[in-house]
Amino acid sequence: MADTPIHSNSIPSRALQQNAKNRLHPLVDLQFDRGWHDELQARLGRNGPWDDWTLYQLAIEARQSRLVGSFDELQCIRSLPSFEPMPHQISTACKVLHEMGGRAILADEVGLGKTIEAGLVLKEYMVRGLVKRALILVPASLVLQWVRELNQKFGISAVAQKKEHTWHYDVVVASIDTAKRDPHRDILLGNDYDLIIIDEAHKLKNKKTTNYQFVTQLRKKYCLLLTATPVQNDLDELYNLITLLKPGQLGGQREFAANFVVDKRLPKNEDQLQEALSTVMIRNRRGDGGIHFTKRVVKNVPLLLSPEEQALYNAVTGFVRERYDESGGDLTSMLSLVTLQREVCSSRDAVFLTLVNLFKKTAEDSPMRPKIWELVEFIRQIKENTKAEKALELIREMNEKVILFTEYRATQEYLLQFFRSHDLVAVPYRGGMNRGKKDWMMDLFRGRAQVLIATEAGGEGINLQFCHHMINFDLPWNPMRVEQRIGRVHRLGQTEDVKIYNLCTLGTIEEHIVSLLHEKINLFELVIGQLDHILERFEKGDKPIEKQIAQMMLEASGQEDLRSRFNQLGQTIGQVMETLPEPDEAQSKAPAIGVLLDKVSRTVEVRP
Amino acid sequence: MNSKQIHRFVQHYLDATNCSIIEKSPYHFTVKLSPEADRVLTGRPYYWSFVDRTGAEPETMSYLFVTNKEKYDSAKEQSASSGTAANPGGMNRTDEAAKSALSRSYGFVHGGALATGRMPREDLYYGSKRLEQLFDAAQSSGSYVCLFQEPDARSSTPFESTAYTPWLGVNLRVEFQCDRKREELHSFGVSLATGQCVENFQDRLNALKMTPRLPPNIHLTRNGITLGKAVTIAESTLERKLRTYDYRWAEDAAARLKEELEVVNHYYEPLLESAEEERREAIMEQFNNRKAEIDWQFRPRVTVSAINCGIFHLAGID
Repeated sequence: MADTPIHSNSIPSRALQQNAKNRLHPLVDLQFDRGWHDELQARLGRNGPWDDWTLYQLAIEARQSRLVGSFDELQCIRSLPSFEPMPHQISTACKVLHEMGGRAILADEVGLGKTIEAGLVLKEYMVRGLVKRALILVPASLVLQWVRELNQKFGISAVAQKKEHTWHYDVVVASIDTAKRDPHRDILLGNDYDLIIIDEAHKLKNKKTTNYQFVTQLRKKYCLLLTATPVQNDLDELYNLITLLKPGQLGGQREFAANFVVDKRLPKNEDQLQEALSTVMIRNRRGDGGIHFTKRVVKNVPLLLSPEEQALYNAVTGFVRERYDESGGDLTSMLSLVTLQREVCSSRDAVFLTLVNLFKKTAEDSPMRPKIWELVEFIRQIKENTKAEKALELIREMNEKVILFTEYRATQEYLLQFFRSHDLVAVPYRGGMNRGKKDWMMDLFRGRAQVLIATEAGGEGINLQFCHHMINFDLPWNPMRVEQRIGRVHRLGQTEDVKIYNLCTLGTIEEHIVSLLHEKINLFELVIGQLDHILERFEKGDKPIEKQIAQMMLEASGQEDLRSRFNQLGQTIGQVMETLPEPDEAQSKAPAIGVLLDKVSRTVEVRP
Repeated sequence: MNSKQIHRFVQHYLDATNCSIIEKSPYHFTVKLSPEADRVLTGRPYYWSFVDRTGAEPETMSYLFVTNKEKYDSAKEQSASSGTAANPGGMNRTDEAAKSALSRSYGFVHGGALATGRMPREDLYYGSKRLEQLFDAAQSSGSYVCLFQEPDARSSTPFESTAYTPWLGVNLRVEFQCDRKREELHSFGVSLATGQCVENFQDRLNALKMTPRLPPNIHLTRNGITLGKAVTIAESTLERKLRTYDYRWAEDAAARLKEELEVVNHYYEPLLESAEEERREAIMEQFNNRKAEIDWQFRPRVTVSAINCGIFHLAGID
């Protein structure tokens, strides 16, 4: 009753002390809340005040409509008019609720909707009155996204933690790094949470970290850990994660090692282990034909540099080679120079900045200084940026939202200015921006800006399904970074074919890179996740691919030699790809662990 | 609740709280709230304390409540295409800008929070926040009543006095809970004259016309039992009924509880034995916490609380 609320979800030992307790069954206590009796008696004594008869009837009607009639049936579905969860999401939620007692690791592959599953569980518990207070700990970049999803999709009044007092709300989303710090830490440890959800839970795989210990100490009834990679390298990671959720589920550390581990990457007694895992972990994987992504349409845009730009390129290449020869082939000291080589394909502004820094670092009497100065002279000669002109032309032709990626901050600044001077509204996005600013930029891009110029693709926070044009102004030498870029737009929820434009200056290293990524690795048409496995095999026992490229470039005796070296590299990768099993069977770093995870998984078909 | 039931619910609520309905269709209400409803629904405590302290004339808010979104929107589209475009719920540009600015910082801003000088539109569907709020509002101002059955107009003659019996009526919510939960509603009436107890009392009341005022030409029978006694009768009737239920769910939950406790004991006990002295206390605390969590999560229990209750004076001597 309004005046005497009962929180049926509080810890029983602390609740209802003033009320009567009887035994209904050897195992079941019956508790009567009697506050209403006193209140009625008091109002009779005072002869009022009395409530309205219609409202009295409506109160009953409201309660009846909210009545949780059965233990099993999912109640929350009928209160979610704005979207329809996918079947595997519903069955996952049911399993957590009915078979796992509300403590589970949700380990779906990326893009299958772990957030939705967690939202369903939370909503269902709230509808049933089993959860009132919930705490959701996520990486800082995802806080607002969670708040938005919970509110819009689930009608849950979740609040982003801002100030100390925000913790008093019923459903709070916060970053774990904030939560574990004073003064927040003590507040949280003083609470009893009906449900705690932790996103990106693989970050808790190490027992010794403060994050891990903090989560262990939090008092919670139900708990969901969300991660796409419950185990990456080592079976101990899995053990730690499960111990966080349910200590003892896999026995003590020593027992676990004795029963289930041959080597840290090789499990034994797999059937029992698998059985133990399936009681605490749910993993959905995409089926064979399950990936109904839209197409990727790739277009390489070849460009001829202006004579001045070509001159700068040649000069920088010569400069870098000279330094390498001087160093006697020491690759590690060449890092900043290799950067120079990459930057020269992007913009003169990027080169200039690096040169200035290099100049400052060299001794005043160094013979390097005049040489650097010479390069700056080449920069001075350049009046326009061929790539930028081309990009502008492309964007005007598309006449739709475009995301443009560059590796360099200086290029980003230049392009912003360049586009602005041509009346094209563009906004920047970079890793260093704080959460609020990133969100603001996204908002502007969603709104009136036609172009987003981004230097960072790795941030989990940017989902750009509403945009399907993408320009690679320059290409990273690490294919994974290219894949990350594409992943921002080409993901579940994208309804259009994604058009990717690679700007590629002829007669430069870029030409080779584009051909390697596009023709040899076939990067742009690979199934999501496949690249990982290719690179892993390729790099096994060797340097990362971008280092190998750098070395080739420094050591090649001329254009022809470079071309043949790139061909060689392409062939090697081609061989690796042939030996690769079907993407479906591709495993994580430790194949045996991958097999184990696969056995626990369930394959689902998903449509975007 | 389907959209028709919601529509009826809203209609009844607005009537009961004396709100003035400006316009309505089977799919929507345009309504100016009464002060009573405004206090509960708009979340403006500062405004109302200002009104209360200064005695200023209150300006209540107006809303567009849509009870059937599809039908309302298509009806509006039709009327818009026939030339009478009006969009009372539409947001203007400033509001949009304010909303997007706020949501950048907070992630999400509920529509009502920005209602300034326009008529906010609220879609009322099952599970929507505003409907939940109406449910809660009905509950908080529909908890305790004292009512009289209205005498049948034809049968009453001014020279006869009808005997009325006071009843305790109470609607109870029973929660069967472990890590899962289900509920039942039970409605009891206990005659304060005789101690007779009837089930489904609310159904009986719903069929009658009730009034808060004492009708003419009636007389009340003397109370045979105290209110406390009546409460006990209702409770023990319920308890007897609950004893006959199937408690396999509770046995299962208790088994899970036991199993989980064994797992935890098995984990912590050796850990405690082998732990160094200074670590032992922390481990012990963790151990106890974990045990308490499991108990909290799984212990089967049944709780009974009242949704609302009242004294009902009904014709006849029972």
